[in-house]
Amino acid sequence: MLTFRARNPLGCCVKHMITEGMSQLFPRYSNTLAPAAIAAVLVTVGVAIWTIHAFVFSSYATEVGHPVSQVVPFSHQHHVAGLGIDCRYCHTGVETSSFAGIPATETCMTCHSQVWRDAPMLAPVRDSWTTGQPLHWNRVHNLPDYVYFDHSIHVQKGVACVSCHGRVDRMPLMAKSQTLYMRWCLDCHEAPEKHLRPASDVFLMKDEAPDPHRGAELARAAGVQTAHLQDCSVCHR
Amino acid sequence: MQSTAQTCETVSDRLSGLVLKRPLGLAWVGGLAIAFTLLLLLNVAVGWLLMNGVGIWGINQPVAWGFAIVNFVWWIGIGHAGTFISAILLLLHQHWRTSINRFTEAMTLFAVACAGIFPLLHLGRPWVFYFLVPYPDTMRLWPQWRSPLVWDVFAVSTYFTVSLVYWYIGLVPDLATMRDRAKQRWIKIVYGIGALGWRGSAKHWARYEMAYLLLAGLATPLVLSVHSVVSFDFAVAVLPGWHSTIFPPYFVAGAIFSGFAMVLTLLIPVRAAYGLKDIITERHLDLAAKVMLATGLMVALGYASEHWMAWYSDESNEEFVALNRMFGPYWPVWWTTMTCNILIPQALWWRSVRINPVLLFCISILVNVGMWAERYMIVVVSLHRDFLPSSWGKFHGTIWDWSTFIGTIGLFFTLLFLFVRLLPMIPIAEMRKQTVEDEAK
Amino acid sequence: MNTPQPHTPAAVQPREEDEFAPGAAEWPEDFSRRRFLQIMAASLALAGGGACTRLPHGEILPYLRQPESLVPGKPLYFATSMNFGGTAQGLLVRSNEGRPTKIEGNPDHPGSLGRSSVHAQAELLSLYDPARSHTPMKLGHPETWEGWLGEALPRIAHWKEREGAGVRLLIQRIGSPTMRAQLAQFLAKYPKARLHFHDAAFPESPMPARVHHDRVQVVLSLDAELFGHGAAHLSAALAFAKSRLSEEQPGRLYAVECTPTLTGAMADHRRTLAPSALVKYAQALADAVAGRAQPSDEWSAALIRDLQKNPGRSVVVAGHFQPLSVHQAARALNEALGNIGKTIDYTPAAAAELAPATLGELVTAMNHGEVDSLLILGGNPVYDTPADLSFAAALAKIPFSAHHGVYENETAQLCRWHLPESHFLEAWSDAQTLDGAESIGQPLIDPLYPSRSAHELLAMLLEQVPTTGYEIIRAAWQKRHPADDFESFWRKTLHDGVAANAAPAVPAAARESSPNAETPALAGLELILRPDAHILDGRYAENAWLQELPKPFTQLTWENAALISPQTAKALRLEHGKLAELRYRGRTLRAPVWILPGQAENCVTIHLGYGRSRAGTVGTGLGSNAFALQTSDALWGGGGLEVHSLGERHTFATTQSQQYMEGRDPVRLVTPGKTSVATESESTPSLYPAWKYDGPAWGMVIDLSACIGCSACTIACQAENNIPVVGREQVLRRREMHWIRVDRYFDGDAAAPRFLHQPVPCMHCENAPCELVCPVGATVHDHEGLNVMVYNRCVGTRYCSNNCPYKVRRFNFLKYNDTDSPTLKLMRNPNVTVRMRGVMEKCTYCLQRISAARITAEKEQRPIRDGEVVPACAQACPADAIIFGDINDKASRVTALRKSPRHYSLLDDLNTRPRTTYLARLRNPNPEIG
Repeated sequence: MLTFRARNPLGCCVKHMITEGMSQLFPRYSNTLAPAAIAAVLVTVGVAIWTIHAFVFSSYATEVGHPVSQVVPFSHQHHVAGLGIDCRYCHTGVETSSFAGIPATETCMTCHSQVWRDAPMLAPVRDSWTTGQPLHWNRVHNLPDYVYFDHSIHVQKGVACVSCHGRVDRMPLMAKSQTLYMRWCLDCHEAPEKHLRPASDVFLMKDEAPDPHRGAELARAAGVQTAHLQDCSVCHR
Repeated sequence: MQSTAQTCETVSDRLSGLVLKRPLGLAWVGGLAIAFTLLLLLNVAVGWLLMNGVGIWGINQPVAWGFAIVNFVWWIGIGHAGTFISAILLLLHQHWRTSINRFTEAMTLFAVACAGIFPLLHLGRPWVFYFLVPYPDTMRLWPQWRSPLVWDVFAVSTYFTVSLVYWYIGLVPDLATMRDRAKQRWIKIVYGIGALGWRGSAKHWARYEMAYLLLAGLATPLVLSVHSVVSFDFAVAVLPGWHSTIFPPYFVAGAIFSGFAMVLTLLIPVRAAYGLKDIITERHLDLAAKVMLATGLMVALGYASEHWMAWYSDESNEEFVALNRMFGPYWPVWWTTMTCNILIPQALWWRSVRINPVLLFCISILVNVGMWAERYMIVVVSLHRDFLPSSWGKFHGTIWDWSTFIGTIGLFFTLLFLFVRLLPMIPIAEMRKQTVEDEAK
Repeated sequence: MNTPQPHTPAAVQPREEDEFAPGAAEWPEDFSRRRFLQIMAASLALAGGGACTRLPHGEILPYLRQPESLVPGKPLYFATSMNFGGTAQGLLVRSNEGRPTKIEGNPDHPGSLGRSSVHAQAELLSLYDPARSHTPMKLGHPETWEGWLGEALPRIAHWKEREGAGVRLLIQRIGSPTMRAQLAQFLAKYPKARLHFHDAAFPESPMPARVHHDRVQVVLSLDAELFGHGAAHLSAALAFAKSRLSEEQPGRLYAVECTPTLTGAMADHRRTLAPSALVKYAQALADAVAGRAQPSDEWSAALIRDLQKNPGRSVVVAGHFQPLSVHQAARALNEALGNIGKTIDYTPAAAAELAPATLGELVTAMNHGEVDSLLILGGNPVYDTPADLSFAAALAKIPFSAHHGVYENETAQLCRWHLPESHFLEAWSDAQTLDGAESIGQPLIDPLYPSRSAHELLAMLLEQVPTTGYEIIRAAWQKRHPADDFESFWRKTLHDGVAANAAPAVPAAARESSPNAETPALAGLELILRPDAHILDGRYAENAWLQELPKPFTQLTWENAALISPQTAKALRLEHGKLAELRYRGRTLRAPVWILPGQAENCVTIHLGYGRSRAGTVGTGLGSNAFALQTSDALWGGGGLEVHSLGERHTFATTQSQQYMEGRDPVRLVTPGKTSVATESESTPSLYPAWKYDGPAWGMVIDLSACIGCSACTIACQAENNIPVVGREQVLRRREMHWIRVDRYFDGDAAAPRFLHQPVPCMHCENAPCELVCPVGATVHDHEGLNVMVYNRCVGTRYCSNNCPYKVRRFNFLKYNDTDSPTLKLMRNPNVTVRMRGVMEKCTYCLQRISAARITAEKEQRPIRDGEVVPACAQACPADAIIFGDINDKASRVTALRKSPRHYSLLDDLNTRPRTTYLARLRNPNPEIG
């Protein structure tokens, strides 16, 4: 090897340079440029990864806290906090069905045939009532079609409205308060006891987190079956 | 021999001249044109595939894997010779490798590139291919590690990366030579960038040698691992005809077998076209042919043991598969495989055949065909009749199956044509080293 | 992702939304699903962006007034009934937000006993079929009902002054008492009007009879279709399964027939005879039993001894398609054996009081210009009548003709008027079983198109008010069931689906008129014409589910064939899959030859119903039209047939290419003597740790002794799980999507084979090969032992399918599901994902039903009860051959059956340890015959 390197083809190359009187191909700064380029690539990749992550969890992508416009600017704040109407007055299916239910125009009219009878804001409701055409509400909490969520079982086992829907009593217009990403679902399905409230609190709007010490016994009381909670088949069919 | 006639000077001159001095030949342009047309065919086929789904292929129940997997295994196999030659033979101090290793490495890369397309395209929903890659997602899900397909992802991508780096490192000194010998400034700059400022100092050489040696060491196990992993795709399954422990060695042998076949298929015309008979000598052909003969015999052993086990295991399904391959609806596939992969290579026992370019070329072509047939036999013929007679079926490649396959051949040759034109296909530095050493003797 | 549609019922132009029942809370699912596909496509661009896309905002449309009983998200079940071949099938229909989405049998109904047939199941698709008739047509131009009245009323006035002379009604089998009453009124109002009967699928039997299968020990079928489509096949199948499986004395079934039927497939002893020979054989039997002659052979002698051993507990049944003499012979046998009144009752012909004339008389009258007004109530006489009558030509002579039907078919095209008929799920009606049990047919949805029911149409012609279906039916019932508290009776009947006081029909003398002439044994071959097992006489030709359902003996889909026995084929040098020309009484027909073991020698069977020229986008131009060979004197075939091979190749769209078991034992057989089969090697070790189940562990047992191979399970599954149809081209490529298939094997020699049917759903293996190889964990084991498929995780490598030894997995090679046709959106089960292109799917044990039951149970904090979860296949199965339940529950039915000596699992040596297992098929051969 050594002998080889001593009389290596370098000789040839040097000879060419001399004979052809070759000029400098690259400016001096390319010595710094080359390693800099490598570093730059690494940095770019890093930034890209970070950006994707940031985007995915950004409120733009998740729409958390983004009020959704509606034909009638219905205020949960007013109806829940202001008037103290129970969730179940409008969302009648929540304890019995997978779908919590959106109130029929009739439900609105029970009061609004009396109060705010001619508030322009409520015109669409009255039109719906007179024309017989249903109101078009925009979905706020929208799951993909291959996810089968059932309100009734969650409510019955002590998952409070506020856990997923947030303080609707502070929302003039409804907005998501959670990402509804699968990992978020799993947070609870992995350790349900951390998120259970006593039946009495399920429909209350409370800020404080569920009592961690009572969780286990609540789970037992509600007969929460944890075995299959993380099966794909629980939500996907 | 002739090498006494050549000095470093002449070597560099000739080899760099292949790229820098020689005018565009009509043959080259024509060849590239054909290859590129086929590449366009590939684009059409892939476009149509993405629009409509894998249903445009012939696959069905029970044969849910067809051409895509056959081609994948075939190309990967071909991709083995390069690294085998350049890495393993380097470690074994087989100096004859120098004149062909650059070329075969390039062939490896291009073959693996072709192979890599198929696992992606054969997905029902290719746009979610990244589900196979472990990354922290919003679903908190990971790949299913017990599945060989996940191992494939790593095996193939690793193999491709290492081969690429290895190939490039080897190229650096030569790119420098090209840089120095090129006339136009812009060409100098292009090669110069590739040469990474190589000045050929003793230090450069020391680092270069070390890096090259290390990568060779790294690439060697990969040669064995990649096709072993690919073979797991089948060996892990319960399907008679797939469920077999012999697969890894038998696949690796088959891979090198087909790889060398492809090397010869390409080298023989090239050395004729570029007048390299003194560099890629009869000795090279002879040795390559010997390797083919040896690996061919290993493959034969593989076939033999499969059939013997079928009989010896006394497992009715296994027996059925063996017989069904020979005499079932797909009997021509089995007979083609046996003829091309076992019978014909026996001619290589004779040196006169091994050094006869024409014969060798024909044999190598036949072996390529035979190896494709073998993969067809393993994938399709095993699948089409499994356990329950009620679910037996048939498979026929559609026009789209064929266009995709032929398309990748187009891709392969397009890359190859560009390679021989733009880069030194014979490693200049190593040839110089060779010459110097010969002189020393 | 706009892919060219495969040949599915969906391949029709979509229509605007507002055609549909307004008000119902539309789930935004379908909309957002389509949107979702786009997004998936978009994510092609931003690769790596798993969640880099925002889900679209759907809309929610609440009710105006929420119906009392309805909770969005909770299905409702309504009892109704369907007229099928003149008898009632009691149904229970699931309704999601006002959309009927699944048809089941009504457990309280004697006609169905909670079971249902392929046809009942498939009617769901017919309801939503986009190809249904949308509007009245006059001479091929769209019209309105007002337009129709404008022309009909003057006519009616004209009829009245001529007392209905020249007025003819062509009717099919009528199962509705109210309809019979209305027709009676019609004849009363227009005395000179005549009624004509024609039904190509349900002919008037020469000697209508009612068999009490529950009292029968030994059955002899003379080409009778006991379990296939027919009057009481559901109860018959169940009763036979019971008697077959009874410990002390298993029932026995002899079948003598011309062409394979489900009855023959279940028979312990089967003999094939050409029609002409069968007539003689029946006579010979009668003589032998009466002692007038010796039995022709040992087989018959043993048969007769067996029958005589069971006097009053045996029955001889003659088929609908057999001539009067066979029925007379059968009756003689039953008399001799003292069965009449015990196991069989001879009943009056349906609608006897109306004394309908035949089709032949009608055509003669039409040709003589005696008919000026012809009303065709349902049916398709232009297509499904004997060729020699040339009905179309006669119809052209009629100045005022009107066709009332669900489809605008060949007849509608040639009539002056076509009037769209309401589907039975859209209209009020009623129906009656053979035993006279009455049930109301209530609608589950407003008519999708401006259509009227036959009742409403007749009311129009009778110039009656009230004219709404509801009022008509209710009034009629009030008349027939004068109860002091009619309201509650009515409500109860509506709720139960069957009238409390079911008046049993009186047995009476047989009507001795025969539409089926005896077939003189002429030279050459004999032709056998039969309605197709699934599309019948073509009335279901437009139903893609039925078209793609493999026929019971050929596994053929989307077409019919000339069925010929191997020996005859060899003699005539005919090849399987080659086109042949059939010459019969001067008429010819081209049909592909299918060589079918078990077919009678020197006979060619062709099934009716194919070769429709105007069925719709699905059914037009499939197969060959066997009505071209039908003659009015011998409707079901006769002698003098010639067959010549044309040599042209024809590729059959069949779902099973292998006919025999190839020395393997997927189907195992036992006899009362030896009831044990090799049990599976449960102890085989596995490298992977065994699963633990503290909850339920679901399992299914399929009893091959009970299974009659009717494929009701397949269609029920298709309806429940939103399984798409792939079309003939895709079936040719072996890409059918059925989650539960019914395999058919021939066993024994080709001359007299045994037919074996085996339903094969997903096995839900304990050591599932598919789970091991999926790279993304899209198919996984859950904690109840289900092998679940997660569509939204599937990337479509199809590795699982390759590694599935049972090949029960189905792949969406192309975009098979039609997500565009609005009506089909309404049909879908909202609790099952509609799979997109490129994902694998398979049987889930009806996961959605398990989830529903689990949620209910957990809310009530109790375990799920045995029988609380019933998969669609098990629910539909007429013979109760599919049993589902928790194998951890020691008391469950499944657990008990898994202990049976007949219990075995498919390919047990692979140690996949399936959850779906089988009970070997029990045969009860006569020891004298062996």
